[in-house]
Amino acid sequence: MKKLLVIIRREYVSRVRTKAFVVTTVLMPLLIVLSGVLPGLLFSIKTGGATRLAVLDETGRLYEPVRESLLAPRRRDTGDDGRAKAGAIPMRGVTPEQREEQMREVTRALGTRYEIEQVSAAGRPRDEIARELNARVLKGELDGYLVLPPDILESNRAEFYSRNTSDILTREQIEDGVSRAVVEQRMRDANIDRERVRQLSREVEIEAAKVRKSGVERDTGGSFGLAMGIGIFIYAALLLYGQVILQAVVEEKTTRISEVLFSSVNAFQLMMGKLIGVSLVGVTQIAIWGVAFAALAGYGVAAAAASGFDFALPSVPLSFVVYSLLFFLVGFLMYATIFVLVGSMVTSEKEAGQAAMPVILLSVMSVYLIFPVIRSPGSTLAFWISIAPFLSPVTMLVRIVTDTPPFWQIALSLAIGVATTVGLTWVAARIYRTGMLMYGKSASIPEVLRWVRRA
Amino acid sequence: MSENTTPALRLENVSKSFGEFAAVSDLSLTVRRGRVYGLLGPNGAGKTTTIRMIVNIIAPDAGTIELFGRPMGVELMDRLGYLPEERGLYKKMRVGDQLRYFAQLKGMTARAADAAADRWLARLNLSEWKAKKTDELSKGMQQKVQFVATVMHDPDLLILDEVFSGLDPVSREAMITVLEELKSEGRTIIFSTHQMEQAERLCDDICLINRSRKILEGSLREVKRGFGRRAVALRAEGADGALDDPAIVAGVKRLGDHDEVLLGEGADAQELLRRLVARGANVMRFEMIEPSLHDIFLQQVGGDAAPAAGAGGASGAGGDG
Repeated sequence: MKKLLVIIRREYVSRVRTKAFVVTTVLMPLLIVLSGVLPGLLFSIKTGGATRLAVLDETGRLYEPVRESLLAPRRRDTGDDGRAKAGAIPMRGVTPEQREEQMREVTRALGTRYEIEQVSAAGRPRDEIARELNARVLKGELDGYLVLPPDILESNRAEFYSRNTSDILTREQIEDGVSRAVVEQRMRDANIDRERVRQLSREVEIEAAKVRKSGVERDTGGSFGLAMGIGIFIYAALLLYGQVILQAVVEEKTTRISEVLFSSVNAFQLMMGKLIGVSLVGVTQIAIWGVAFAALAGYGVAAAAASGFDFALPSVPLSFVVYSLLFFLVGFLMYATIFVLVGSMVTSEKEAGQAAMPVILLSVMSVYLIFPVIRSPGSTLAFWISIAPFLSPVTMLVRIVTDTPPFWQIALSLAIGVATTVGLTWVAARIYRTGMLMYGKSASIPEVLRWVRRA
Repeated sequence: MSENTTPALRLENVSKSFGEFAAVSDLSLTVRRGRVYGLLGPNGAGKTTTIRMIVNIIAPDAGTIELFGRPMGVELMDRLGYLPEERGLYKKMRVGDQLRYFAQLKGMTARAADAAADRWLARLNLSEWKAKKTDELSKGMQQKVQFVATVMHDPDLLILDEVFSGLDPVSREAMITVLEELKSEGRTIIFSTHQMEQAERLCDDICLINRSRKILEGSLREVKRGFGRRAVALRAEGADGALDDPAIVAGVKRLGDHDEVLLGEGADAQELLRRLVARGANVMRFEMIEPSLHDIFLQQVGGDAAPAAGAGGASGAGGDG
């Protein structure tokens, strides 16, 4: 027992003390956040100064409205042009006025500023003006120019010339602005009261609420996120630490340390020490992430609430926290044991990677199965995949979040998981010693089966 | 038998084969306490397999192995120090941490382990490397570190597989000195080697195995006596008459400063000496010429030394030795 503790301690300390541990602990959450937010953020930030735009208004009366709507974009005048674009977060349960204000904030922060000038035709032919404008665009005096043809109110067509037409965001904003100006002009022409249209064409908001035993709870999309998040997180943790265990085993095997170890302690202690030690490293890292995430989420929601964003974190009942820990633990040990097995059967890290593929595929499968489970958590399919070993750690938790199944199903799933883990440990203990002392070639499956029977 | 008179190690009719390949066949041997026991043989003879069975890494197919009168078990592991032929240390671990770990696995407390590590590192001139990671050390230094890991917990029985391989002459001398000290402290040491010079310097007893079988076993002295060409180096004046009896002297080879007298079948060298003295010969040198272990090894294993094809390779765990 004392030796087991010594082994656990070494496996733990030698990993937690490495730079790699510190780096992954800090970088992993950053990476996740960045990979989710960064592309949108980068795309929506336009560097450099304002976009210089020339407008050739051939209708003679649209320049001012277009200019206005481009400089003060996104008013929900007509009700159909206010769709959240520009990477904005969908917000529900907010009055249109609040939302409009928020949108302007977002646009100011992220959007394009324009410097707009009018091109006077002054009787010159269109070609000549276009040549002149093209020249200015090429010289860099202008970023682009907009042509509003005389029949724009009927044809719904305007032209935009620019050096860079792949800046979709700018294009969309311009399209948006011109559309609004044109629609308003049409209304004026038809003597329709703008204000009245705006009032009549407000959108309907659906408020999702989750019915629980404890009552009804408003859901702002958080519980879907939570279900996905938990599932993917567990999957990632299993793989990450599975690899760590695999490496640890292969290291002892390739460096032949195992021989010294086997002459000091028995194989079972050695294997369990490794499993527990590396698991504790995982638990430590996850605890750090968990605390940091909880703090951030708490802060973030508070901050968002203060600035008018409405985003309720789904309430997490204590039972769910307990289930998460239980399923995580069982799943972790289940996969870890398999990785120990794989590690003791191969001869190099490269081989280990290949041999681990089926295990990895199994865990990937459990992530894909999250989707059918979220869509119909009460189905027969969901039942079977949420009690199946290797899948249950991810799928059962997702079921619990989306539509908590009866307790007996949860208990059954856990029991099957525990039984599988115990069985695997039993097999692994029999194979570990022989596998670890076998050099030169990887074990074949029949060979391994023989060891299990003989040990 | 009391704990102190039971042999440190006893193998009885031990066999082990890997598939078709017999690595060890019907091997019996006894290692007495406080002795240095050499397990000798060419590559592929079965030395390493034997040692692996002794330290309970692989199980014999047949036969019994007893350490200190008991079958090998967990409680005996702490009394063993085992240096495997294939050396291995954690590459990224500091030397000091590594030694503490291995010692703790042998039941030492962390504090005792640190003290022992300091003592032994100093003894092998490795103190300044204590805080370094293993992969910063040379191969030879790693080997010495591993040796420290083997002996630092004061094992009653040391089992060293090819302890001298990979060491430069200076380190080898240092290692021999350390082993001689351990021997004088009364520890039992078993080591395998195919380098007969070291065996000759250190061993009390030897066992020669070849092709999985024991060829001979016994104290170095007995073995040498058994294989003596039974010759005496003699320098004496007025000895001639004493050398005439064919029952005692089979032949005389005249060399530069002495004669080499080949003794007859069953003849006693002491009888020859008595006769020389009786004849009033002035004996200046009378010395039994012993064959070197090297000679015995070659004579016994000789042209037969080529290891069986594919020895160990087929099953991996067989290794060589």
